[in-house]
Amino acid sequence: MVNLNTVAPKNNRDYYIALGLEGSANKLGVGVVKHPLLPKHANSDLSYDCEAEMLSNIRDTYVTPPGEGFLPRDTARHHRNWCVRLIKQAIAEAGLQDPALDIDVICFTRGPGMGAPLHSVVVAARTCSLLWDVPLVGVNHCIGHIEMGREITKAQNPVVLYVSGGNTQVIAYSEKRYRIFGETLDIAIGNCLDRFARTLKIPNEPSPGYNIEQLARSAPHKDALVELPYTVKGMDLSMSGILASIDSLAKDLFKGNKKNKILFDRQTGEQKVTVEDLCYSLQENLFAMLVEITERAMAHVNSNQVLIVGGVGCNVRLQEMMAQMCKDRANGQVHATDNRFCIDNGVMIAQAGLLEYRMGGIVKDFSETIVTQKFRTDEVYAAWRD
Amino acid sequence: MALPMAEYSAPDGVNKSFVPIPDDPRYLTTEGRTTGPSDHVLNAGQIDRDKPSEPKRVQGGTQMTYLGQLRTQLTGLQDDINEFLTERMELAKNKKKKADADEKRIQEEINQLLDGGDAEEEAD
Repeated sequence: MVNLNTVAPKNNRDYYIALGLEGSANKLGVGVVKHPLLPKHANSDLSYDCEAEMLSNIRDTYVTPPGEGFLPRDTARHHRNWCVRLIKQAIAEAGLQDPALDIDVICFTRGPGMGAPLHSVVVAARTCSLLWDVPLVGVNHCIGHIEMGREITKAQNPVVLYVSGGNTQVIAYSEKRYRIFGETLDIAIGNCLDRFARTLKIPNEPSPGYNIEQLARSAPHKDALVELPYTVKGMDLSMSGILASIDSLAKDLFKGNKKNKILFDRQTGEQKVTVEDLCYSLQENLFAMLVEITERAMAHVNSNQVLIVGGVGCNVRLQEMMAQMCKDRANGQVHATDNRFCIDNGVMIAQAGLLEYRMGGIVKDFSETIVTQKFRTDEVYAAWRD
Repeated sequence: MALPMAEYSAPDGVNKSFVPIPDDPRYLTTEGRTTGPSDHVLNAGQIDRDKPSEPKRVQGGTQMTYLGQLRTQLTGLQDDINEFLTERMELAKNKKKKADADEKRIQEEINQLLDGGDAEEEAD
Protein backbone atom coordinates (compact mmCIF):
# COMPACT_ATOMS: atom_id res chain seq x y z
CA MET A 1 0.00 0.00 0.00
CA VAL A 2 1.17 3.55 -0.71
CA ASN A 3 0.14 6.94 0.60
CA LEU A 4 -0.58 9.23 -2.35
CA ASN A 5 -1.37 12.02 0.10
CA THR A 6 2.18 12.15 1.49
CA VAL A 7 2.50 15.82 0.42
CA ALA A 8 -0.46 18.08 1.22
CA PRO A 9 -1.89 20.37 -1.49
CA LYS A 10 -0.84 24.03 -1.53
CA ASN A 11 -2.60 26.58 0.70
CA ASN A 12 -4.64 23.93 2.57
CA ARG A 13 -6.75 23.25 -0.52
CA ASP A 14 -8.49 19.93 -1.07
CA TYR A 15 -7.01 19.42 -4.51
CA TYR A 16 -3.69 19.42 -6.37
CA ILE A 17 -2.96 21.24 -9.65
CA ALA A 18 -0.08 20.30 -11.96
CA LEU A 19 1.16 21.99 -15.11
CA GLY A 20 2.74 19.58 -17.60
CA LEU A 21 5.11 20.51 -20.42
CA GLU A 22 5.96 18.03 -23.17
CA GLY A 23 8.33 18.58 -26.10
CA SER A 24 10.45 15.48 -26.67
CA ALA A 25 9.67 15.28 -30.40
CA ASN A 26 7.69 17.39 -32.89
CA LYS A 27 4.67 17.94 -30.62
CA LEU A 28 4.66 20.69 -28.07
CA GLY A 29 2.06 19.99 -25.39
CA VAL A 30 0.97 21.97 -22.35
CA GLY A 31 -1.67 20.58 -20.00
CA VAL A 32 -3.18 21.25 -16.60
CA VAL A 33 -4.39 18.39 -14.40
CA LYS A 34 -6.34 18.50 -11.15
CA HIS A 35 -6.42 15.70 -8.55
CA PRO A 36 -8.85 15.86 -5.64
CA LEU A 37 -7.39 15.07 -2.22
CA LEU A 38 -9.27 11.93 -1.18
CA PRO A 39 -8.92 9.82 1.98
CA LYS A 40 -9.06 6.62 -0.11
CA HIS A 41 -5.64 7.48 -1.57
CA ALA A 42 -3.94 7.58 1.85
CA ASN A 43 -3.38 3.83 2.10
CA SER A 44 -4.14 2.00 -1.10
CA ASP A 45 -2.89 1.07 -4.58
CA LEU A 46 -5.13 3.42 -6.53
CA SER A 47 -2.65 5.34 -8.66
CA TYR A 48 -4.75 4.36 -11.72
CA ASP A 49 -7.84 6.00 -10.23
CA CYS A 50 -6.91 9.52 -9.11
CA GLU A 51 -10.23 10.94 -10.34
CA ALA A 52 -8.09 13.28 -12.41
CA GLU A 53 -9.70 16.20 -14.18
CA MET A 54 -8.03 17.51 -17.34
CA LEU A 55 -8.47 21.27 -17.09
CA SER A 56 -6.66 21.97 -20.34
CA ASN A 57 -4.73 20.02 -22.95
CA ILE A 58 -3.20 22.24 -25.64
CA ARG A 59 -0.93 20.93 -28.38
CA ASP A 60 0.87 22.37 -31.37
CA THR A 61 2.71 20.18 -33.86
CA TYR A 62 5.76 21.13 -35.90
CA VAL A 63 4.81 19.95 -39.39
CA THR A 64 7.30 19.65 -42.25
CA PRO A 65 6.60 19.46 -46.01
CA PRO A 66 5.84 16.03 -47.58
CA GLY A 67 8.96 13.87 -47.90
CA GLU A 68 10.76 15.61 -45.03
CA GLY A 69 11.35 14.59 -41.43
CA PHE A 70 11.70 17.00 -38.54
CA LEU A 71 15.20 18.25 -37.75
CA PRO A 72 16.20 18.88 -34.10
CA ARG A 73 17.21 22.52 -34.72
CA ASP A 74 13.93 23.52 -36.39
CA THR A 75 11.81 21.50 -33.96
CA ALA A 76 13.55 23.21 -31.03
CA ARG A 77 12.87 26.59 -32.66
CA HIS A 78 9.17 25.72 -33.01
CA HIS A 79 8.96 24.78 -29.31
CA ARG A 80 10.92 27.86 -28.24
CA ASN A 81 8.67 30.23 -30.15
CA TRP A 82 5.37 28.62 -29.18
CA CYS A 83 6.00 27.53 -25.60
CA VAL A 84 5.03 30.77 -23.83
CA ARG A 85 1.93 31.23 -26.02
CA LEU A 86 0.77 27.69 -25.26
CA ILE A 87 1.42 27.99 -21.53
CA LYS A 88 -0.66 31.20 -21.43
CA GLN A 89 -3.45 29.50 -23.40
CA ALA A 90 -3.43 26.39 -21.17
CA ILE A 91 -3.53 28.46 -17.98
CA ALA A 92 -6.40 30.59 -19.32
CA GLU A 93 -8.37 27.54 -20.47
CA ALA A 94 -7.86 25.88 -17.08
CA GLY A 95 -9.29 29.00 -15.41
CA LEU A 96 -6.26 29.56 -13.18
CA GLN A 97 -6.19 33.13 -11.85
CA ASP A 98 -2.70 33.23 -10.39
CA PRO A 99 -0.30 30.44 -11.39
CA ALA A 100 1.97 31.21 -8.43
CA LEU A 101 -0.88 30.47 -6.03
CA ASP A 102 -2.78 27.85 -8.00
CA ILE A 103 -0.11 25.47 -9.31
CA ASP A 104 1.37 22.88 -6.94
CA VAL A 105 4.00 21.53 -9.30
CA ILE A 106 5.42 22.07 -12.80
CA CYS A 107 6.22 18.81 -14.60
CA PHE A 108 8.46 18.62 -17.66
CA THR A 109 9.74 15.82 -19.89
CA ARG A 110 13.30 14.98 -18.86
CA GLY A 111 13.71 12.34 -21.60
CA PRO A 112 13.94 10.24 -23.66
CA GLY A 113 13.65 12.27 -26.85
CA MET A 114 15.45 14.69 -29.13
CA GLY A 115 17.96 16.77 -27.18
CA ALA A 116 17.36 20.21 -28.68
CA PRO A 117 13.52 20.22 -28.41
CA LEU A 118 13.71 18.81 -24.86
CA HIS A 119 16.07 21.62 -23.99
CA SER A 120 13.73 24.32 -25.34
CA VAL A 121 10.94 23.10 -23.07
CA VAL A 122 12.98 22.61 -19.92
CA VAL A 123 14.21 26.22 -20.15
CA ALA A 124 10.55 27.34 -20.11
CA ALA A 125 9.83 25.01 -17.16
CA ARG A 126 12.77 26.34 -15.15
CA THR A 127 11.77 29.95 -15.90
CA CYS A 128 8.17 29.38 -14.76
CA SER A 129 9.44 27.61 -11.64
CA LEU A 130 11.60 30.60 -10.69
CA LEU A 131 8.96 33.15 -11.70
CA TRP A 132 6.17 31.58 -9.66
CA ASP A 133 8.27 29.81 -7.00
CA VAL A 134 6.70 26.45 -7.84
CA PRO A 135 8.66 23.16 -7.55
CA LEU A 136 9.64 21.09 -10.58
CA VAL A 137 9.37 17.37 -11.31
CA GLY A 138 11.21 15.76 -14.25
CA VAL A 139 9.17 13.03 -15.92
CA ASN A 140 10.15 10.05 -18.06
CA HIS A 141 8.15 10.41 -21.28
CA CYS A 142 7.24 6.69 -21.44
CA ILE A 143 6.01 6.70 -17.83
CA GLY A 144 3.86 9.70 -18.77
CA HIS A 145 2.16 7.65 -21.49
CA ILE A 146 1.63 4.67 -19.16
CA GLU A 147 0.16 6.67 -16.27
CA MET A 148 -2.10 8.66 -18.57
CA GLY A 149 -3.36 5.44 -20.16
CA ARG A 150 -3.99 3.85 -16.75
CA GLU A 151 -5.89 6.89 -15.48
CA ILE A 152 -8.07 7.21 -18.59
CA THR A 153 -8.86 3.52 -19.06
CA LYS A 154 -8.72 2.50 -15.35
CA ALA A 155 -6.66 -0.52 -16.34
CA GLN A 156 -5.26 -1.67 -13.01
CA ASN A 157 -2.20 -3.69 -13.94
CA PRO A 158 -2.02 -4.19 -17.70
CA VAL A 159 0.73 -5.33 -20.01
CA VAL A 160 1.59 -2.09 -21.79
CA LEU A 161 2.37 -1.87 -25.47
CA TYR A 162 4.11 1.44 -26.01
CA VAL A 163 4.26 2.27 -29.71
CA SER A 164 5.32 5.67 -31.02
CA GLY A 165 7.66 7.45 -33.40
CA GLY A 166 10.66 6.94 -31.13
CA ASN A 167 9.77 3.92 -29.00
CA THR A 168 8.47 0.37 -29.33
CA GLN A 169 8.32 -1.52 -26.05
CA VAL A 170 6.27 -4.19 -24.30
CA ILE A 171 6.23 -3.32 -20.62
CA ALA A 172 4.88 -4.92 -17.43
CA TYR A 173 5.01 -3.61 -13.87
CA SER A 174 6.86 -5.50 -11.18
CA GLU A 175 8.49 -4.50 -7.89
CA LYS A 176 8.25 -0.70 -8.18
CA ARG A 177 9.44 -0.54 -11.77
CA TYR A 178 7.96 -0.77 -15.24
CA ARG A 179 10.03 -3.63 -16.69
CA ILE A 180 10.72 -3.87 -20.41
CA PHE A 181 9.81 -7.37 -21.62
CA GLY A 182 10.49 -6.80 -25.29
CA GLU A 183 11.45 -3.94 -27.55
CA THR A 184 12.69 -3.00 -30.97
CA LEU A 185 16.25 -3.91 -31.80
CA ASP A 186 16.60 -1.07 -34.28
CA ILE A 187 14.01 1.53 -35.37
CA ALA A 188 10.68 2.31 -33.68
CA ILE A 189 7.40 1.37 -35.37
CA GLY A 190 6.31 4.99 -35.82
CA ASN A 191 9.67 5.79 -37.36
CA CYS A 192 9.23 2.88 -39.79
CA LEU A 193 5.79 4.17 -40.83
CA ASP A 194 6.95 7.81 -41.03
CA ARG A 195 9.93 6.94 -43.19
CA PHE A 196 7.77 4.93 -45.56
CA ALA A 197 5.42 7.93 -45.75
CA ARG A 198 8.43 10.03 -46.75
CA THR A 199 9.24 7.56 -49.53
CA LEU A 200 5.64 7.84 -50.74
CA LYS A 201 5.82 11.64 -50.32
CA ILE A 202 2.44 11.72 -48.64
CA PRO A 203 1.59 14.71 -46.37
CA ASN A 204 2.85 14.89 -42.78
CA GLU A 205 -0.45 16.44 -41.71
CA PRO A 206 -2.22 15.43 -39.49
CA SER A 207 0.44 12.73 -39.17
CA PRO A 208 2.23 10.43 -41.62
CA GLY A 209 1.06 7.30 -39.75
CA TYR A 210 -2.58 8.39 -39.91
CA ASN A 211 -2.30 8.94 -43.67
CA ILE A 212 -0.79 5.45 -44.13
CA GLU A 213 -3.67 4.03 -42.08
CA GLN A 214 -6.20 5.74 -44.37
CA LEU A 215 -4.45 4.47 -47.52
CA ALA A 216 -4.31 0.93 -46.05
CA ARG A 217 -8.07 0.99 -45.46
CA SER A 218 -8.72 1.51 -49.15
CA ALA A 219 -6.33 -1.25 -50.32
CA PRO A 220 -8.00 -3.13 -53.19
CA HIS A 221 -6.16 -6.46 -52.71
CA LYS A 222 -6.44 -7.16 -49.00
CA ASP A 223 -6.63 -10.89 -49.66
CA ALA A 224 -3.13 -10.98 -51.20
CA LEU A 225 -0.56 -9.72 -48.71
CA VAL A 226 2.80 -8.63 -50.05
CA GLU A 227 5.41 -10.79 -48.34
CA LEU A 228 7.75 -8.82 -46.07
CA PRO A 229 10.52 -10.02 -43.71
CA TYR A 230 8.55 -10.71 -40.50
CA THR A 231 11.24 -10.42 -37.82
CA VAL A 232 10.52 -11.41 -34.22
CA LYS A 233 13.51 -12.48 -32.15
CA GLY A 234 12.36 -13.90 -28.82
CA MET A 235 10.58 -11.02 -27.11
CA ASP A 236 12.16 -8.41 -29.37
CA LEU A 237 11.47 -7.34 -32.91
CA SER A 238 13.29 -5.69 -35.79
CA MET A 239 11.76 -3.37 -38.36
CA SER A 240 14.65 -1.96 -40.40
CA GLY A 241 14.64 -4.94 -42.79
CA ILE A 242 10.91 -4.53 -43.42
CA LEU A 243 11.39 -0.83 -44.13
CA ALA A 244 14.24 -1.48 -46.59
CA SER A 245 12.12 -4.13 -48.31
CA ILE A 246 8.93 -2.05 -48.64
CA ASP A 247 10.94 1.03 -49.65
CA SER A 248 12.54 -0.89 -52.48
CA LEU A 249 9.13 -2.20 -53.62
CA ALA A 250 7.67 1.32 -53.59
CA LYS A 251 10.59 2.66 -55.64
CA ASP A 252 10.15 -0.15 -58.19
CA LEU A 253 6.44 0.63 -58.36
CA PHE A 254 7.06 4.33 -59.03
CA LYS A 255 9.70 3.51 -61.65
CA GLY A 256 7.37 0.97 -63.28
CA ASN A 257 10.04 -1.74 -63.04
CA LYS A 258 8.20 -4.61 -64.78
CA LYS A 259 10.99 -7.05 -63.89
CA ASN A 260 9.70 -7.02 -60.33
CA LYS A 261 7.48 -10.10 -60.21
CA ILE A 262 5.90 -9.14 -56.87
CA LEU A 263 4.48 -5.95 -58.34
CA PHE A 264 3.81 -6.83 -61.97
CA ASP A 265 2.33 -9.90 -63.64
CA ARG A 266 5.03 -12.09 -65.23
CA GLN A 267 3.09 -12.70 -68.46
CA THR A 268 0.95 -9.62 -69.04
CA GLY A 269 3.09 -7.00 -67.25
CA GLU A 270 -0.08 -5.79 -65.54
CA GLN A 271 0.30 -4.06 -62.15
CA LYS A 272 -0.78 -6.41 -59.31
CA VAL A 273 -0.04 -4.22 -56.28
CA THR A 274 -0.98 -0.61 -55.51
CA VAL A 275 0.51 1.92 -53.06
CA GLU A 276 -2.52 1.24 -50.85
CA ASP A 277 -1.71 -2.49 -50.90
CA LEU A 278 1.83 -1.75 -49.78
CA CYS A 279 0.53 0.36 -46.88
CA TYR A 280 -1.88 -2.42 -45.92
CA SER A 281 0.77 -5.14 -46.04
CA LEU A 282 3.22 -3.03 -44.06
CA GLN A 283 0.68 -2.40 -41.32
CA GLU A 284 -0.47 -6.04 -41.18
CA ASN A 285 3.10 -7.30 -40.96
CA LEU A 286 4.26 -4.84 -38.30
CA PHE A 287 1.13 -5.14 -36.17
CA ALA A 288 1.19 -8.96 -36.28
CA MET A 289 4.71 -8.82 -34.84
CA LEU A 290 3.54 -6.52 -32.06
CA VAL A 291 0.57 -8.75 -31.26
CA GLU A 292 2.84 -11.80 -31.07
CA ILE A 293 5.26 -10.33 -28.53
CA THR A 294 2.45 -8.74 -26.51
CA GLU A 295 0.67 -12.08 -26.23
CA ARG A 296 3.87 -13.73 -25.08
CA ALA A 297 4.37 -11.03 -22.41
CA MET A 298 0.77 -11.57 -21.23
CA ALA A 299 1.47 -15.27 -20.86
CA HIS A 300 4.67 -14.55 -18.91
CA VAL A 301 2.98 -12.31 -16.33
CA ASN A 302 -0.35 -14.12 -16.42
CA SER A 303 -2.28 -10.99 -17.36
CA ASN A 304 -5.37 -10.61 -19.50
CA GLN A 305 -5.26 -6.83 -19.97
CA VAL A 306 -3.37 -4.89 -22.62
CA LEU A 307 -2.99 -1.15 -22.60
CA ILE A 308 -1.86 0.41 -25.88
CA VAL A 309 -0.19 3.80 -25.52
CA GLY A 310 1.83 6.11 -27.77
CA GLY A 311 1.00 7.82 -31.06
CA VAL A 312 0.72 4.58 -33.08
CA GLY A 313 -1.73 3.33 -30.43
CA CYS A 314 -4.41 5.48 -32.13
CA ASN A 315 -4.30 3.17 -35.15
CA VAL A 316 -7.67 1.45 -35.28
CA ARG A 317 -6.31 -1.57 -37.15
CA LEU A 318 -3.72 -2.20 -34.42
CA GLN A 319 -6.47 -1.97 -31.81
CA GLU A 320 -8.61 -4.44 -33.81
CA MET A 321 -5.80 -6.97 -34.16
CA MET A 322 -4.94 -6.71 -30.46
CA ALA A 323 -8.63 -7.11 -29.55
CA GLN A 324 -8.81 -10.25 -31.68
CA MET A 325 -5.86 -11.76 -29.84
CA CYS A 326 -7.33 -10.81 -26.45
CA LYS A 327 -10.69 -12.27 -27.42
CA ASP A 328 -8.99 -15.59 -27.99
CA ARG A 329 -7.56 -15.46 -24.47
CA ALA A 330 -9.95 -15.89 -21.51
CA ASN A 331 -11.68 -12.60 -20.66
CA GLY A 332 -8.98 -10.57 -22.34
CA GLN A 333 -9.40 -6.81 -22.61
CA VAL A 334 -7.70 -4.17 -24.72
CA HIS A 335 -7.48 -0.65 -23.37
CA ALA A 336 -6.61 2.26 -25.60
CA THR A 337 -7.18 6.00 -25.60
CA ASP A 338 -8.09 8.45 -28.33
CA ASN A 339 -5.68 10.88 -29.95
CA ARG A 340 -6.08 13.52 -27.19
CA PHE A 341 -4.19 11.25 -24.82
CA CYS A 342 -2.43 8.76 -27.13
CA ILE A 343 -0.40 11.29 -29.07
CA ASP A 344 2.25 13.15 -27.04
CA ASN A 345 0.60 15.73 -24.81
CA GLY A 346 1.14 17.89 -21.75
CA VAL A 347 -1.47 16.32 -19.45
CA MET A 348 0.27 12.95 -19.47
CA ILE A 349 3.43 14.60 -18.17
CA ALA A 350 1.36 16.47 -15.56
CA GLN A 351 -0.37 13.20 -14.52
CA ALA A 352 2.86 11.21 -14.03
CA GLY A 353 4.65 14.19 -12.47
CA LEU A 354 1.81 14.84 -10.04
CA LEU A 355 1.87 11.21 -8.88
CA GLU A 356 5.57 11.57 -8.16
CA TYR A 357 5.02 14.95 -6.45
CA ARG A 358 2.30 13.50 -4.20
CA MET A 359 4.84 10.91 -3.05
CA GLY A 360 7.32 13.67 -2.15
CA GLY A 361 9.54 13.53 -5.22
CA ILE A 362 10.60 16.99 -6.38
CA VAL A 363 13.68 18.50 -8.01
CA LYS A 364 15.95 19.83 -5.25
CA ASP A 365 18.58 21.39 -7.47
CA PHE A 366 18.50 22.63 -11.08
CA SER A 367 21.32 20.22 -11.91
CA GLU A 368 18.64 17.49 -11.67
CA THR A 369 16.69 19.13 -14.48
CA ILE A 370 19.27 18.42 -17.17
CA VAL A 371 17.42 16.67 -19.97
CA THR A 372 18.63 13.42 -21.44
CA GLN A 373 18.09 11.76 -24.82
CA LYS A 374 18.46 8.28 -23.33
CA PHE A 375 16.22 7.52 -20.37
CA ARG A 376 14.91 3.99 -20.16
CA THR A 377 11.48 3.22 -18.73
CA ASP A 378 12.90 0.81 -16.12
CA GLU A 379 15.24 3.48 -14.70
CA VAL A 380 12.29 5.13 -12.95
CA TYR A 381 11.39 4.09 -9.39
CA ALA A 382 7.57 4.10 -9.38
CA ALA A 383 7.06 5.17 -5.75
CA TRP A 384 3.31 5.68 -6.34
CA ARG A 385 2.70 1.98 -7.07
CA ASP A 386 2.50 -0.89 -4.60
CA MET B 1 17.15 49.41 -17.18
CA ALA B 2 20.24 47.19 -16.82
CA LEU B 3 21.35 45.59 -20.07
CA PRO B 4 21.68 41.82 -20.35
CA MET B 5 25.21 40.62 -21.03
CA ALA B 6 27.18 37.46 -21.71
CA GLU B 7 30.80 36.47 -21.07
CA TYR B 8 32.84 33.93 -23.02
CA SER B 9 36.15 32.48 -21.91
CA ALA B 10 38.07 29.51 -23.28
CA PRO B 11 41.15 27.57 -22.09
CA ASP B 12 43.15 28.98 -25.03
CA GLY B 13 42.92 32.45 -23.43
CA VAL B 14 40.18 33.92 -25.64
CA ASN B 15 37.81 36.13 -23.65
CA LYS B 16 34.91 38.14 -25.00
CA SER B 17 32.02 40.14 -23.56
CA PHE B 18 28.72 40.56 -25.34
CA VAL B 19 26.57 43.61 -24.58
CA PRO B 20 23.66 44.91 -26.68
CA ILE B 21 23.76 48.45 -28.08
CA PRO B 22 20.29 49.82 -27.15
CA ASP B 23 19.45 51.81 -30.32
CA ASP B 24 21.07 49.49 -32.87
CA PRO B 25 18.29 47.89 -35.03
CA ARG B 26 19.97 44.53 -34.43
CA TYR B 27 18.79 44.71 -30.78
CA LEU B 28 15.28 46.03 -31.55
CA THR B 29 13.72 42.95 -33.11
CA THR B 30 12.65 39.47 -31.98
CA GLU B 31 13.50 38.03 -35.41
CA GLY B 32 17.14 37.14 -35.15
CA ARG B 33 19.49 36.73 -38.09
CA THR B 34 20.73 33.34 -36.90
CA THR B 35 17.59 31.98 -35.25
CA GLY B 36 15.33 31.50 -38.27
CA PRO B 37 14.37 28.19 -39.90
CA SER B 38 17.20 26.20 -41.46
CA ASP B 39 17.90 26.55 -45.19
CA HIS B 40 17.22 22.85 -45.66
CA VAL B 41 13.54 23.09 -44.68
CA LEU B 42 13.01 26.38 -46.50
CA ASN B 43 14.40 24.81 -49.69
CA ALA B 44 12.00 21.89 -49.17
CA GLY B 45 9.08 24.32 -49.35
CA GLN B 46 8.45 24.98 -45.66
CA ILE B 47 6.29 28.01 -44.88
CA ASP B 48 7.50 29.53 -41.64
CA ARG B 49 4.58 29.73 -39.23
CA ASP B 50 6.79 29.49 -36.15
CA LYS B 51 8.12 33.02 -36.07
CA PRO B 52 8.58 34.54 -32.62
CA SER B 53 5.85 36.98 -31.58
CA GLU B 54 6.45 40.72 -31.91
CA PRO B 55 7.83 42.47 -28.80
CA LYS B 56 5.04 43.71 -26.56
CA ARG B 57 4.53 47.46 -26.56
CA VAL B 58 3.08 49.77 -23.94
CA GLN B 59 -0.67 50.06 -24.51
CA GLY B 60 -1.48 52.68 -27.12
CA GLY B 61 2.18 53.54 -27.70
CA THR B 62 5.20 52.46 -29.70
CA GLN B 63 7.51 52.01 -26.73
CA MET B 64 8.30 48.44 -25.80
CA THR B 65 7.48 47.03 -22.38
CA TYR B 66 10.38 45.97 -20.15
CA LEU B 67 10.01 42.30 -21.13
CA GLY B 68 9.54 43.18 -24.82
CA GLN B 69 12.77 45.17 -24.74
CA LEU B 70 14.58 42.37 -22.93
CA ARG B 71 13.43 39.88 -25.60
CA THR B 72 14.74 42.02 -28.46
CA GLN B 73 18.06 42.63 -26.72
CA LEU B 74 18.47 38.91 -26.01
CA THR B 75 17.71 38.13 -29.67
CA GLY B 76 20.55 40.44 -30.79
CA LEU B 77 22.82 39.04 -28.09
CA GLN B 78 22.06 35.49 -29.24
CA ASP B 79 22.95 36.50 -32.82
CA ASP B 80 26.27 37.96 -31.61
CA ILE B 81 27.08 34.78 -29.69
CA ASN B 82 26.07 32.50 -32.57
CA GLU B 83 28.17 34.45 -35.07
CA PHE B 84 31.16 34.50 -32.71
CA LEU B 85 30.94 30.76 -32.00
CA THR B 86 30.48 29.91 -35.69
CA GLU B 87 33.64 31.90 -36.46
CA ARG B 88 35.50 30.04 -33.70
CA MET B 89 34.32 26.72 -35.09
CA GLU B 90 35.48 27.67 -38.59
CA LEU B 91 38.91 28.62 -37.20
CA ALA B 92 39.14 25.33 -35.29
CA LYS B 93 38.06 23.42 -38.42
CA ASN B 94 40.72 25.13 -40.55
CA LYS B 95 43.36 24.50 -37.88
CA LYS B 96 42.43 20.82 -37.81
CA LYS B 97 42.51 20.63 -41.60
CA LYS B 98 46.01 22.12 -41.61
CA ALA B 99 47.18 19.81 -38.81
CA ASP B 100 45.76 16.77 -40.68
CA ALA B 101 47.46 17.87 -43.92
CA ASP B 102 50.81 18.37 -42.08
CA GLU B 103 50.49 14.97 -40.43
CA LYS B 104 49.71 13.34 -43.79
CA ARG B 105 52.70 15.05 -45.43
CA ILE B 106 55.08 13.96 -42.63
CA GLN B 107 53.72 10.41 -42.79
CA GLU B 108 54.26 10.33 -46.56
CA GLU B 109 57.84 11.59 -46.13
CA ILE B 110 58.52 8.91 -43.49
CA ASN B 111 57.04 6.22 -45.74
CA GLN B 112 59.15 7.40 -48.65
CA LEU B 113 62.29 7.29 -46.53
CA LEU B 114 61.44 3.80 -45.25
CA ASP B 115 60.71 2.57 -48.78
CA GLY B 116 64.04 4.01 -49.89
CA GLY B 117 65.78 2.19 -47.00
CA ASP B 118 64.19 -1.11 -48.03
CA ALA B 119 65.29 -0.59 -51.65
CA GLU B 120 68.91 0.08 -50.56
CA GLU B 121 68.90 -3.04 -48.35
CA GLU B 122 67.59 -5.11 -51.24
CA ALA B 123 70.30 -3.66 -53.52
CA ASP B 124 72.98 -4.74 -51.00
